Amino acid sequence: MTRTLNHVILALIVFIWVLPFVALVTTSLRSEVASKTSGFWTAFTPTELGHRFSTHDRGEIEPFTTLKGNIFERLNQERDSFEIEGDIKSILFKGRVPDPDKEGKTKLIRQLIYAGEVMDVRGGDFVFEPSGDFTWTFPEATAPKPKNLDTFINQNPIFGTDAYVEVLFENKNVTNALISSFIVTIPATIIPITIAAFAAYAFAWMSFPGRDWLFVLVVSLMVVPTQLAFLPILQGFSGIASWATSLNAWMTDCEATKTCQVASKSFASLWVTHTAFGLPLAIYLLRNYIVGLPKELLESARIDGASHLQIFTRLIIPLSVPALASFSIFQFLWVWNDLIVALYIGSAEAADLVFPIRLQKQLGTFKDQLHLLNASAVISIIIPVIVFLSMQRYFIRGLLAGSVK
Amino acid sequence: MAQLALEKVNKSFGNVHVIHDVDLQINDGEFVVFVGPSGCGKSTLLRLIAGLEKLSSGSISIADRPVMDLPPSKRGIAMVFQSYALYPHMTVFNNMAFSLDLQGVSKAEIHQRVEAAAKILQMEHLLDRRPAALSGGQRQRVAIGRAIVRNPDVFLFDEPLSNLDAALRHDTRVEIAKLHTQLGATTIYVTHDQVEAMTLADKIVVLKDGEVMQVGSPMELFNYPANEFVAGFLGSPKMNFFEGVLKAGAGGNSGEFEGQGLHASGVRLVGTNQPNGCTARLGIRPQHLILDANGPLKGTATLVERLGTETVIELVNEAGTAFRCATPETLDVVVGDQVTFSFNPQSAHVFC
Repeated sequence: MTRTLNHVILALIVFIWVLPFVALVTTSLRSEVASKTSGFWTAFTPTELGHRFSTHDRGEIEPFTTLKGNIFERLNQERDSFEIEGDIKSILFKGRVPDPDKEGKTKLIRQLIYAGEVMDVRGGDFVFEPSGDFTWTFPEATAPKPKNLDTFINQNPIFGTDAYVEVLFENKNVTNALISSFIVTIPATIIPITIAAFAAYAFAWMSFPGRDWLFVLVVSLMVVPTQLAFLPILQGFSGIASWATSLNAWMTDCEATKTCQVASKSFASLWVTHTAFGLPLAIYLLRNYIVGLPKELLESARIDGASHLQIFTRLIIPLSVPALASFSIFQFLWVWNDLIVALYIGSAEAADLVFPIRLQKQLGTFKDQLHLLNASAVISIIIPVIVFLSMQRYFIRGLLAGSVK
Repeated sequence: MAQLALEKVNKSFGNVHVIHDVDLQINDGEFVVFVGPSGCGKSTLLRLIAGLEKLSSGSISIADRPVMDLPPSKRGIAMVFQSYALYPHMTVFNNMAFSLDLQGVSKAEIHQRVEAAAKILQMEHLLDRRPAALSGGQRQRVAIGRAIVRNPDVFLFDEPLSNLDAALRHDTRVEIAKLHTQLGATTIYVTHDQVEAMTLADKIVVLKDGEVMQVGSPMELFNYPANEFVAGFLGSPKMNFFEGVLKAGAGGNSGEFEGQGLHASGVRLVGTNQPNGCTARLGIRPQHLILDANGPLKGTATLVERLGTETVIELVNEAGTAFRCATPETLDVVVGDQVTFSFNPQSAHVFC
């Protein structure tokens, strides 16, 4: 009973979490019109939609008695993608017919004509099938002008990757943002985890005066909010930048070309900031993992003649892979999704903007182009998912099996 | 000259003084067992020799070389841990090759030495496995192999058998004894199991509360215990003690004991700095009690254990002292029976 309840609750939670993602992906794969006019949940079932088509192309046409054509062909003529398929339900007939009430007069009617029924178009008999085939027959050879007809089609679900092609290749914004995000995130993950692993080993297994107090200090840094530190950090970076500028002026002949200015906000400043704010948690997590490794293992390595560095590289690192993997996922996600630090500390150059800032900017430009917004969002989501899935195989249980009993 | 010499070795952890003035000489090729109850400092002493703990005072030299300031790897020792401490992410081969690799020994020599060690331990077929794929006994062998490969002056074993089950413990014990004969290396072996100590050792060091109680060959310790603790610690079942007084013989090697209806003269006297008339304890091993209807020692059986090879009877005498008797005969005694014993004063000890 409780098991069933658990399963139901679990299924519900999964549903709640997966639903927005499904909505996002679905919308990004629909056509602009479809995503604007109907909700994503209608995208999976046939929907009745109205379309206008012309019987034939404008221009000279040979007189004919019978014209055969296909409504879908006519409709899809100007489309590269999201080609319409389905059943033709009806055509809205708008035209004048003899008025049965008033002899000799005509009246304007609007009427839905269904498949197989004969309709008078420019004096000819127009008949269509649900498959879209139509015949237009005249008593004698005529060359009529093209006629625009409104048709209701029970449309099959259609999906396409147009939105992705558009955001990735139409202009360079999203591609640039993707590259910038990688440039920021990869070093901002690797640098802190490297430093933290060394520090964690020292805190766990090397004895030096003040070790415990220093560790308490590091751990207490975890509660410092990022916002609190923005002002000093910015001041620090601009100080470094002006120092680097004068160094540049002194070392090179940049004054001639007026290129001495070193930017205070750059990828490097993001790396440093993310490293600084990621380190306390990283050291804390890794130290707690490393301190739990069996003491005999390290003692055995010492007897075997391993130095601290050799113990670290040949024992600690291979045995800490699960902890390293889980922290790198944390740090990757946090840096990848970070908006506020990137906004304050990162470069403001359009080409250097990271993904979250680009998304925020797209909210302004693509306000009513949901499919494009969603395509960008999906691209930004898909990277952490790939990272997570590829890191998952490092969560190895029983890594220490067989070491100590 | 001694292969390993300890002089006035002391060790404190903060205010806790765990090793007191230990002096010890170990000769080349000797198999020495440190034995004692848990918390007696035997493992700490081993770790001091290994260099895993720093001495508080005193000196240690291995192969005539003071080693106090040397790191463990430079002391010419190899250690086998109770928990094996195998590197779980390396194959057996790499586990054994690790120390050689760190020393920068050439690949060919590493191969040759690891394979030689594997051959001695008959585990050539295990070299490609990871520790997780080995049984407890095999892991133990890898741990020993890792020590052999280093070709040390002194082997250190820290309770190497306590993680094995009873049958395997016996086999491995025999194997370690054979290995020692084969390699002839100086070995220090820590255990709390007196059977391991008695069977393996050339020399036993009995420790209690960080002090050496007695050093000597197993039979020397068994037959001539230097004090009551050693007498009670070695031998199974434990030695029986009876309260009484020392009537005569103070200052000599033999004395006269009286107490609890027992009277014995010409008994080996241990602890000679007490005057006649002091309280003393008479120690008789359960195996040395003789069934005798006219004997001075009377007891009521409270438990009879028949082990097949011998029968152990627990009894209480009139003074309320519990004692045991062990005899290879199959006795027809049931709980509640009165049994009387005599004993040979030659095989008894008086402690005061």
